[in-house]
Amino acid sequence: MASGNGRPGADLLSVEGLRVTGHDGAALVDDVTFSIRPGETVALVGESGSGKSLTAKAIAGLLPRNLTASGSIRWRETEVVGARERVLRTLRGPQVSMLLQDPFTLLNPLTPVWRTLAETLPGRGAELRLLISERISDVGIEPARARDRYPWELSGGMRQRIGLAAALSQSPALLLADEPTTALDATTQRDVLRLIHRLQRGHGMAMLLITHDLRIATSMSDRVVVMAKGGIVESGDVDDLRSGGRQEYTRRLWAAQLPVDRRLADLRVEARLDGAGAAPVPDAATGGAGAGTTPILVVRELSKSFAARGHGEGVQALDRVGLELARGRSLGVIGESGSGKTTLARCILGLEQPTSGTVELTPGIARRQVQCVFQDPYSSLNPSHSIGFALAEAVRHRAGAPLSRREVAAEIAATLHSVGLDASFARRRPETLSGGQRQRVAIARALLLRPEILVCDEPVAALDLTVQSQVLQVLRDAQAGGLSMVFITHDMSVARQLTDEVIVLHKGRIVETGPTASVLDDPQHEYTARLLASVPSGDREWIAGPPLQRTGAMTDG
Amino acid sequence: MKIAVWLGRRLIAIVLQLLIISFLTFSLLFLMPGSPEQILIGPNPATAEQLESIRERYGLNEPFLAQYADWLGAAVHLDFGTSIANGEEVSSLLIERSGVTVSLAIYAIVLLLLLAVPLGLVAGARAGGTADRVISAVTTMLVSAPAFATGLLLLYVFGVVLRWFPIFGFGSGFTDVVWHLTLPAATLAIAVIALIVRQTRAVAATIVRSDYVLFGRARGVAPWTIWTRYLLRGSSMPLVTSMGLVLGFFLTGTVVVERLFSIPGLGSLLINAVSTKDLPVVQGATILVSFFVLLANLLADASHLAVDPRVRKAVLA
Amino acid sequence: MSTGLQTRPARQSSALVVLALAFACLVAGLCVVSFVGLGLDPQTQRLLEARQPPTPGHWLGTDLVGRDVLARVVHGASVTVIGPAAVALGAVAIAVPLALVAAERGGVVDAVVMRTSDTLLALPSILVIIVIAGLFGGGYWLAAAVLVFLIVPSGLRIARSVALGQKNLPYQEAARLIGASTPRRMFVHTLPNLLPTIVATLLLDFVAALVALSSLSFLGLGAPPGSTDWGTMLAENLRLIEQNPWACLAPAVMLVLTAYSATTIGDWLHLRLEGRRG
Repeated sequence: MASGNGRPGADLLSVEGLRVTGHDGAALVDDVTFSIRPGETVALVGESGSGKSLTAKAIAGLLPRNLTASGSIRWRETEVVGARERVLRTLRGPQVSMLLQDPFTLLNPLTPVWRTLAETLPGRGAELRLLISERISDVGIEPARARDRYPWELSGGMRQRIGLAAALSQSPALLLADEPTTALDATTQRDVLRLIHRLQRGHGMAMLLITHDLRIATSMSDRVVVMAKGGIVESGDVDDLRSGGRQEYTRRLWAAQLPVDRRLADLRVEARLDGAGAAPVPDAATGGAGAGTTPILVVRELSKSFAARGHGEGVQALDRVGLELARGRSLGVIGESGSGKTTLARCILGLEQPTSGTVELTPGIARRQVQCVFQDPYSSLNPSHSIGFALAEAVRHRAGAPLSRREVAAEIAATLHSVGLDASFARRRPETLSGGQRQRVAIARALLLRPEILVCDEPVAALDLTVQSQVLQVLRDAQAGGLSMVFITHDMSVARQLTDEVIVLHKGRIVETGPTASVLDDPQHEYTARLLASVPSGDREWIAGPPLQRTGAMTDG
Repeated sequence: MKIAVWLGRRLIAIVLQLLIISFLTFSLLFLMPGSPEQILIGPNPATAEQLESIRERYGLNEPFLAQYADWLGAAVHLDFGTSIANGEEVSSLLIERSGVTVSLAIYAIVLLLLLAVPLGLVAGARAGGTADRVISAVTTMLVSAPAFATGLLLLYVFGVVLRWFPIFGFGSGFTDVVWHLTLPAATLAIAVIALIVRQTRAVAATIVRSDYVLFGRARGVAPWTIWTRYLLRGSSMPLVTSMGLVLGFFLTGTVVVERLFSIPGLGSLLINAVSTKDLPVVQGATILVSFFVLLANLLADASHLAVDPRVRKAVLA
Repeated sequence: MSTGLQTRPARQSSALVVLALAFACLVAGLCVVSFVGLGLDPQTQRLLEARQPPTPGHWLGTDLVGRDVLARVVHGASVTVIGPAAVALGAVAIAVPLALVAAERGGVVDAVVMRTSDTLLALPSILVIIVIAGLFGGGYWLAAAVLVFLIVPSGLRIARSVALGQKNLPYQEAARLIGASTPRRMFVHTLPNLLPTIVATLLLDFVAALVALSSLSFLGLGAPPGSTDWGTMLAENLRLIEQNPWACLAPAVMLVLTAYSATTIGDWLHLRLEGRRG
């Protein structure tokens, strides 16, 4: 415990019976109790809506005005609940500080980096300038590259590092880190987590790490608190959690975690808890009858560049990309943000015109038989129309000839059933559906056109883990029915479960291609290996050690 | 350096816009009902000799474009001819009347600066609170009302019932002028203040709820810094971005306000000229007001450039 | 000046909305009364009873030539409101299809539409109307016709940006992939999502037109002298402000409240219609 202040062994933070209520009196967080000792890392794990972020805000004394906390929160001797802002204000910074999730909204857009840091650093003039440079290089950025820039001139990874430098500027005894890397690319995520880990050790600082990812929790923390629906499900030593957890809920969370090193027989959480679904199966088992080597989609030398806006340089999104999709097979396209993977999908769909190169469908396949499931469930459905209207439109456009109302309804009901929804969903409006339900409807809409090829552009990236695996199983069922698929994802584990072959895209170029199993088990290209290494393993080693790439580059996210 | 390029471009654009406006204004002579000669003589019946001398004097026998070139050449030297109604030089009329209108606009800007941003900030920082509700209700009422109607209510309450301010005229000497112009300037400012308050409120409410304010508080940034550098600076953006619109409104809104308070400014000059179809005066006033509006827009854009680094980068990169 | 859709307050207290709706109904009622007549006598001049403050016989007193102010205010409702309503309908009818086409086609079509509207927007509209209505002598309805074109751009810009925002949403692209035709996407998919914008624009345009046309009448360039247009009444009764202030206060109050009600109802409808969506 390098911090030295405070009695040894005494709690740095203790939360007892914390309750957060809205203005209608409903409890959003209820009966939360835990504590953190100096230098310790505690992870707060939960899915969206579990109340983990509100708990962090309550601890910082920064709940939104319309929410109230009751119970007790103590920073060393200071009671936070009911405390005057004047008291807390002086303690925020040196005692408790906080890092937020979204690097793009974290920093004042009108303030350059040096001034953001100067806001909480002592001294002035040359002394202050030196201190600022020091703090910038502490977070792995060459000072000259960031000091005079505005946040919006920096990449997400750099912004999060600057945010970290600002949060730590007064060497707080406790850092509340609210999903600090969720918005970052995988490789950047690991680097930033390693940086946080290293700085934490250096400062002897305690940390409350809020995350939805069990594997990050187990590799970074000493103790874990699992939350769901505003309450604590279980809390205990990290080793308890690593071995699966004591509660049903925690075991479900673990079960929802998809492995990257093997293909599962059944993706649904229930099946995996049974044990049957968790059994590994050979990787090429999905293709239904008729799966073969005849290509139905061939992309040749595809390039796409976007013209510059204003005076900036243009962007080469895709650079001579080629691929073949065989009938009944599933081809994965793996890449981080900016890799060009979505542009590739849009070119295949005909939503974007390539600059050069060709996209060829086997003769006999109409454009309409290439359908898509988009990433964002909330804008995939027209808010002005009912689910039934959207699906009926798809049926009528496919059929060409007029169908009776009853025929259309029957087909909609059958398709809704096949994606795991009740026929009554046809009468509902999009805003009453959850994200997972909307994605199922989007899949149903695509399937109603009886497509030959389904392009999936990160279809589960916006969903909670347990919902992800259910939606992925629906897509797998469709594959088993003989549907060919182009599956775009940043998530290697998802690719493992859904694809037969993969291509790895990096800055618009294919760096590696091959059968999914061999690429993921034995990557040949350095970039693929780095991507794989950035998948959280849940081990301590994953977080220890130096960053994977020399930072300070403008390209780290 | 790059600022100079930007400024040069904008000035060229202003000159081009003025050319177009001058052409349209000049064309009014031929678009108006009645023959150009008759328009330039006025409503009284004219003899053939009078018509001929007018044709001679205004070069009406020349081709259209040549006439325009002559007229423009004179206009560049601020020579818009003489008033049909009273034979005075248009340029001296304009100069005489501009002073009142410009002081009125400046007074209105002072009121705007003093009131709009603080009120918007208070409403936005406590969005949903009592102050916000009162401010929002009042601004909704004022933002949509015609200036002459709100002005009349001001005039009645403060001029007729309370007798705090005079209800017409311009006055002489600084304090007297300020005293006379208070109600007119307030009338002019009210609609704009309401608009800016609404915009400022929306921005302030967003900033108060923003991650960067939360993060600033969480890492121990002083409240004074949050209020000034985060809230005040960010919330002044709508005022700066709307400045062109606002100044334009002040310069054209005086038409109504001058009439209501019987102030002898550019606006009442224009209205009288329009009503009596005194074309040279209309042309001169239109071009002068247009010039003021274009200049105000340039000033507004320059100040936007000065306060917002994002715009600076986009424009000057 | 337009208030702009992006600056509306978060939520209005419902009492104010109810009052605004009630006032709007009142104005609509007055319009009906002024058409039907109901013994209304706005024009008879009684010089012996001129310049009177409110009396039991004339609740709002009389004007310069002894006309009953109350009867004139009631009669003025339709005279004042119908022009702006027509202008607003006309402007929206032009703006919405143009916005849809500009957003859908993009490129040159969009550039031409937007540059034209930028140019119109840059014009100081009150000056343009004053000069045109004054010099050309076309009166109120010529001014209204010109006003339609001057008001189109503000609504057009808002509607276009909303339509453009919809254009690249996944549900639109899904409709393209299904094979839905361009008109179908524009009218079945985009148009319903523009509804809140259209309603709000309609009311904003109404207020803008009300302000412009009544200002013109106030300046003596719109409605003819002696008309019961509230702007004209206000101007003509201005010199009575000491003897019978109600003769000009009444039309002023009616104008302010009419504009306020329309703005409030516009805000409220916009929020309500938006709120029905996801």
